[in-house]
Amino acid sequence: MSDWAVRVSDVSKKFRLYHERNQTLKSAILRGRTSRHEDFWALEGISFDVQEGHTHGLIGSNGSGKSTLLKCLAKIYWPTQGTVEYRGRMASLLEVGSGFHLELSGRENIYLNGSILGMSKKEIDGKFDAIVDFSGVERFLDQPVKNYSSGMYVRLGFSIAIHVNPDILVVDEVLSVGDEEFQRKCFQKFREFRQQGRTIIVVSHSMSVMEDLCDQVSWISSGHLLGTGTAQEMVAKYQASIE
Amino acid sequence: MTYVGDIWRSRELLYNLTNREVRGKYRRTALGQLWSLANPVAAIVIYTFIFSFIFRLPAQVGDPSGIDNYAMWLVCGLLPWLFFNRVVSSGTDALVSNAGLIQKVYFPRIMLPLSLANATFFTWLLEMAVLVVALSFLGSYVLPWIPLVAVFMVVFALFSVGLAMIFSIINVYFRDLAYLLTIVLQFWFYLTPILYPVELVKTQSDALGGLAGSPITLLDLYTLNPVEGFIEIFRNLLYDNRAPDMTTVLIAVGWTLVALGGGLWMYARREKELAELL
Repeated sequence: MSDWAVRVSDVSKKFRLYHERNQTLKSAILRGRTSRHEDFWALEGISFDVQEGHTHGLIGSNGSGKSTLLKCLAKIYWPTQGTVEYRGRMASLLEVGSGFHLELSGRENIYLNGSILGMSKKEIDGKFDAIVDFSGVERFLDQPVKNYSSGMYVRLGFSIAIHVNPDILVVDEVLSVGDEEFQRKCFQKFREFRQQGRTIIVVSHSMSVMEDLCDQVSWISSGHLLGTGTAQEMVAKYQASIE
Repeated sequence: MTYVGDIWRSRELLYNLTNREVRGKYRRTALGQLWSLANPVAAIVIYTFIFSFIFRLPAQVGDPSGIDNYAMWLVCGLLPWLFFNRVVSSGTDALVSNAGLIQKVYFPRIMLPLSLANATFFTWLLEMAVLVVALSFLGSYVLPWIPLVAVFMVVFALFSVGLAMIFSIINVYFRDLAYLLTIVLQFWFYLTPILYPVELVKTQSDALGGLAGSPITLLDLYTLNPVEGFIEIFRNLLYDNRAPDMTTVLIAVGWTLVALGGGLWMYARREKELAELL
């Protein structure tokens, strides 16, 4: 058995559902600073290991908590209880083009976005051509990104993110970007990732994508882990449960 | 301390975010960065007309520099204030206005107010450079004091950004703060000796004596304002060409440590829950 790359141990996440949220000073003073809220556990006691080099999928219906879990994995939310441990560098891709500045050119945004995603300037310099190539926007590189078509925008964002080359990549449903040709390139890139022994954690609603990409799949329902197993097995179980 | 290490490791990100602010701001304008000088120039013209020409404030003669020019005297205090004002008001909004980014990518959140302050510092630097040239023309022997001015610019910037850091976190919990702050900053501006010399306050304070029978005077309360000390330091260095009073310097440095320490502490404590609160 190979080593784990990501270990999720007993992760729970509590949100507060506010009935009255005193976000203004007036209400805080008038009502004595207390807010009325209910605790809502979006995740409860989730544990699983992701093996190094595996592609791990998360499935579940809307509101099951898989996005919350993904955000915990991406260090955007912090678990109320439990821990997430990593072996290697983690990068997340929850939205393409986060932090793009619309007035800046594609070139400037590559550096900006790259460093937000954790790349050093040297790294970006080295990968610059590959990023531009992959995105296919070289003709418009010195145009402000606000003039980009939505497809170009997304392709550039995705291209930067995929070139971060992390040991562990956490991806939300962003695979469905661009036209068919670009999607093929993306899947090609994911397969390269796997061949290089990198670990991927992915959320998708497309069961065929899940079966195609993933070694292991975890099925989450109302904040609980219903099981982790091979992609075929878990997808079959999940589909049986909806019918 | 690990938190300071995080900041150091993210210095390239800070550089890039600063760049985003500086370059993105004046894109597609013909005058570009020159616009950043327009606001101070307008303020100088207006205030000089009102306070020097209409109200006839007593002449401010630099000691020992010997310059007598209200406009220059005003600018030496006004430029630091404008910097402070911009850092605190834009910094307070730094987290809320970047909510989208915070909810999608992990990076040290403190970079947001820091990068805004950096970009504003860059503008301030340009303004101060112009001021130094103007002062030199008018006969102020300012050049030897430039290193000290630079040091205090950094100290004042740290004070301002510390305050901005504290406010930016509070603003996530109480969105009123951003609106309240615009009013507070107005009061703050007029309660700081920028348009008028502190001596005028002293005269009134001496006339009043101890407030409500206590030994505390109006001037004592007035000088509690941390910005007052900084303004005095900048005027001493730039306009008077002399070393600032040691007590004033120590108090200013003390305030800076409090503001910066408070800001770092707030971020270290609250950073993790920001994404879900925005």
